[in-house]
Amino acid sequence: MAFNNRLLRALSPADQDVLRPHLRWSELERGTVFVSPDQPITHVWFPESGLSSIIAMAGDDQGIEVGLAGRDGLVGMPLVLDANRTPHRIFMQVAGVGHSIEGDLFRTLLDDHASIRKLLLRYVQAYSTQTTYTALSNAMHTVEERLARWLLMSHDRQDDDEIPLTHDFLALMLGVRRPSVTIALHSLEGLGFIKATRGLIVVRKREELEEFAGAGYGVPEAEYERLIGQLR
Amino acid sequence: MPRFFLHIDDGTQRIEDEEGSKLTDLASARAEALGAARQLWAAAMLTGRDIGMGSFLIANDQDDVIETVELDEALPEALVKRLRRR
Repeated sequence: MAFNNRLLRALSPADQDVLRPHLRWSELERGTVFVSPDQPITHVWFPESGLSSIIAMAGDDQGIEVGLAGRDGLVGMPLVLDANRTPHRIFMQVAGVGHSIEGDLFRTLLDDHASIRKLLLRYVQAYSTQTTYTALSNAMHTVEERLARWLLMSHDRQDDDEIPLTHDFLALMLGVRRPSVTIALHSLEGLGFIKATRGLIVVRKREELEEFAGAGYGVPEAEYERLIGQLR
Repeated sequence: MPRFFLHIDDGTQRIEDEEGSKLTDLASARAEALGAARQLWAAAMLTGRDIGMGSFLIANDQDDVIETVELDEALPEALVKRLRRR
């Protein structure tokens, strides 16, 4: 079976054969919680489609999205880094499908196969670049520019132009109140870059959106391609 | 929890909140609108862009407008006093 997940795809055929017998195919429904704060991480997931969100928590029910992983990456990164829990919350934001592998077994396989570990460590480096640019964007860019960036990042991780993101989630992504999302979507729509309807955003002018997003978009994506391979 | 819609009247047109938000009550819908107004003012100050006059129209789950929150309500009292003295 050919993989759509970019990490599994980037592995050598021999390394794919190491993982393949242990991968379990699963539906990843919207809202599925993979990792809860400070709870043991039981599995690693390799999404083939859909989007997962990594949330830094501020108390029990508030937080901001600090990272995004879909078919470009994996969920359960602490296990790659010899840690078995994290203060973050990780859940499925856009439904998809993917493969899961049991955590202890995964760690043993990494110990035995340096080439798999190396690829996944390069992914951690690429992901960490993504989060540093999120920090840059949160500090330097307007809500509109940051929205453009997140839409591009979501768009990169799927095949079609329709992104099923709710306004509630966009507020969590951007760390703003709901009406600020309504206004930012309205601005990007006014510029003709997107079309927003209830629960669905359609990317109309990708190149213009990239230009609008400015320095927040592009560097982490180039870094991913240098370290792993094709992102989109 | 009831659903509230927070539409925006920017002075020339109404920007629709198509999805609405589940909020405890009208008071928390007001708090959400005021919080958003503060974010809009903050962005306007930082970028030097005008946000124009406007207000939030809070509608219930039947989409009937039940409360209006003016953007000016979110301005710090000291700023309002300072502007009045000018």
